[in-house]
Amino acid sequence: MNTIFKSIKFRDAGTLIGLILISVVFASLSPTFLTAPNLLNVLQQSSINACIALGMTLVIISGGIDLSVGPVAALTAILGAAMMVAGVPVPLAILGALAAGAACGFVNGALIAWGGLQPFIVTLGGLSLYRALALIYTGGQPIFGLPDSFRALTNGTLAGIPTPVIIVAVLAIVAWVILNKTPLGEYFMAIGGNPEAARIAGVPVVLTKLAAYMISGFMAAVAAMILIGRLGAAEPTMGTLWELDAIAASAIGGASLMGGRGSIPGTLIGCIILGTLRNGLTLLNVQAFYQLLATGIIIIVAMLIDKFASGAGGGKQG
Amino acid sequence: MTSRLSLTDVQKSFGVTKVLHGVALTVQPGEVHGLLGENGAGKSTLLNILSGVLSCDTGRIEIDGHEVQISAPRDATDAGIAMIHQELQQVPELTVAQNIFLGHALRKGLFVDRARQEAEARRLLASLDPAIDVTAPIRSLRVAQRQIVEIAKALRANAKIIAMDEPTSSLTPAEFEKLVAVIGRLSAQGVSVIYVSHKMDEVFRVCQTATILRDGRLIAQVPIPATPVSQVIELMVGRELAKSMHNSFATTRTVLKVSGLSRGRAVLDADFELHAGEVLGIAGLVGSGRTELMRLIAGVDRADKGQVEVAGRAIASGPRARIKAGLGLVPEERKRDGIVRQRPVTSNIGLPAMRQFSRLGLIRKGMLRARSEQLMKEVNLRPFDVARPIGSFSGGNQQKAIIGRWLAAGTEIFLFDEPTRGIDVGAKAEIYDLIERLAKEGKAVLFVSSELPEVIRLADRVLVMREGRISATLEATEITEANIARNAIPSS
Repeated sequence: MNTIFKSIKFRDAGTLIGLILISVVFASLSPTFLTAPNLLNVLQQSSINACIALGMTLVIISGGIDLSVGPVAALTAILGAAMMVAGVPVPLAILGALAAGAACGFVNGALIAWGGLQPFIVTLGGLSLYRALALIYTGGQPIFGLPDSFRALTNGTLAGIPTPVIIVAVLAIVAWVILNKTPLGEYFMAIGGNPEAARIAGVPVVLTKLAAYMISGFMAAVAAMILIGRLGAAEPTMGTLWELDAIAASAIGGASLMGGRGSIPGTLIGCIILGTLRNGLTLLNVQAFYQLLATGIIIIVAMLIDKFASGAGGGKQG
Repeated sequence: MTSRLSLTDVQKSFGVTKVLHGVALTVQPGEVHGLLGENGAGKSTLLNILSGVLSCDTGRIEIDGHEVQISAPRDATDAGIAMIHQELQQVPELTVAQNIFLGHALRKGLFVDRARQEAEARRLLASLDPAIDVTAPIRSLRVAQRQIVEIAKALRANAKIIAMDEPTSSLTPAEFEKLVAVIGRLSAQGVSVIYVSHKMDEVFRVCQTATILRDGRLIAQVPIPATPVSQVIELMVGRELAKSMHNSFATTRTVLKVSGLSRGRAVLDADFELHAGEVLGIAGLVGSGRTELMRLIAGVDRADKGQVEVAGRAIASGPRARIKAGLGLVPEERKRDGIVRQRPVTSNIGLPAMRQFSRLGLIRKGMLRARSEQLMKEVNLRPFDVARPIGSFSGGNQQKAIIGRWLAAGTEIFLFDEPTRGIDVGAKAEIYDLIERLAKEGKAVLFVSSELPEVIRLADRVLVMREGRISATLEATEITEANIARNAIPSS
């Protein structure tokens, strides 16, 4: 029992308290908020962002950023949908789409790790490039008519819990294990914390960076599969601004954009905070414009609390 | 006479750890006052309290007999206290004059009055170092000159007390002499200087009084140079340092062979062999190519030509190949090249050998922790907590962890670049013992050092470098300061 408490880190506890506070406010204002169907709804609505944010967190911890996740999701959605419509067996089409996501990540990672280019710029290029490929391939038209067997995968429930939530929960556990229990996780934190020291200590810097971006691309493809399964169609314009939600969730969860710091549970709670906010404000019939306003305020407040919580230590530079 | 600065009963705790137990410090006007103590003794905390970065829990600070409250850096500036940090806080792209007036620009209406700033900067620098061009960008200056600029900035703020934290860590002997002269001038103008350093010879050159701290307590205030060096060191360390003789464990078995190693004009045709159990020193002036040679051997930089052989086999470039061959670099710039600050000691130790600490792809944290604790117990890590972020340890203890990293990785050939840079006297002796122990166990040690006593104390053999080349190889009996100096200085 004691070890469980110890493993819940101080920063994650802070994020959780934030979530609880927001939930208490909504629960007191709306009678429907605190009902099982609505809470499951929040989790389900958060699952796509969570998927993207898990990959993003690993990239951010390793000292990078991946702005191309939205377009990668769109491109892999198109490829997966096109394969299924063309009659490729569903499991094969899914594997193909996931592989395409990892391949996009590989291209990003290769330019960054071997090319020595800045992650922000490379993935900003990727943001246009992958979107363009998706648009060119489809001529801007959505792909309809996804097989029911595929749609059943993401529209079903398991023990009453929507399958996307279960998929993301499993992936989150995998990401947590990678970050906290494997050499790769140590390498992510080492190259994010001090790339030169990590290199001198024998960390395989190139492979570690490649792995981070490939995981991010893969997770974008998973998110794409969940979304097209629910919609029954793939649009080349989907995934717009996903990268910003994912970065926001990671940051609320305690990831430092300077690298070397971040938490998987924190990111998940960050996603749920953003999801809760949208859900709660919708229940209260607040206009979408104000929802955006609230999201912005939450992000900034979270960062301010972070800054003051790290107080004395945070003041020391270098 | 009232003291310029008087601190009484200063206490400070971080959480449950008390780092200052009622420390006092009294500095007279115009006095150069040494602040001595091992790393972790509380010097930095005391300086941070003086400069308003931290505030003390209890305690009284008086300047010229009046109590002052210092709770922010601005309060310290207002009270006439200035800090010259070890890492200078300047904007490299701005000019000397702009840096001196940073945040306090002289204005003419809405605009900055550059001409007046430059004239004023020139006036301030006139007594310190008139050779500095006030319109040059800071980045074009040498570290020693930047320090002078920082002092000018302190004078601009009418500082009555200037605290210098390890001011000579990157100065040449000639630049040190210049700094001594500047300190003398400050002192003559009535400015008090608090001088923090590990180097006894410097403290004895510049200070009139020294306050010695140990484990957060005031140990003594002694007159300098009336107090013998050995007594000062004893007060700092709290124990007598064993005066050990040099022991050689060198064998004739070659473990490392470097041939024709070159990179640009920094390293030219380096050839030498290193034997099991041998401690081989590399001496030379700053810029003679010593660090560059170490980095080539460690595979951190790529050589233009030449090769590195371990046990008769040529080893590919890149740190990973070299580490696999049994080499390990303990770099000079610990913060930049050595540690991953926010990670615990265990992670920093385990980095090169993560595979070895893993089973089925998962790190065996218990095993990593046990091995780290065992290694860190041997080297006397203080405080003994391997789960703490390495950045929270003192320089000497960080160094122990980096050495532990290579011990854990099974390294056979240790490359030390300035092994005791920025490390206090007590930890220094421990590092020396550790290097000797490595040699005794049959490991090979190659080290670069700018401190001749260190080279003489440790080395079985010495390579002297001059302008990128190995200019001499000194055998045991030839290792003297004169011989090293003669081969290190370029003949013009």
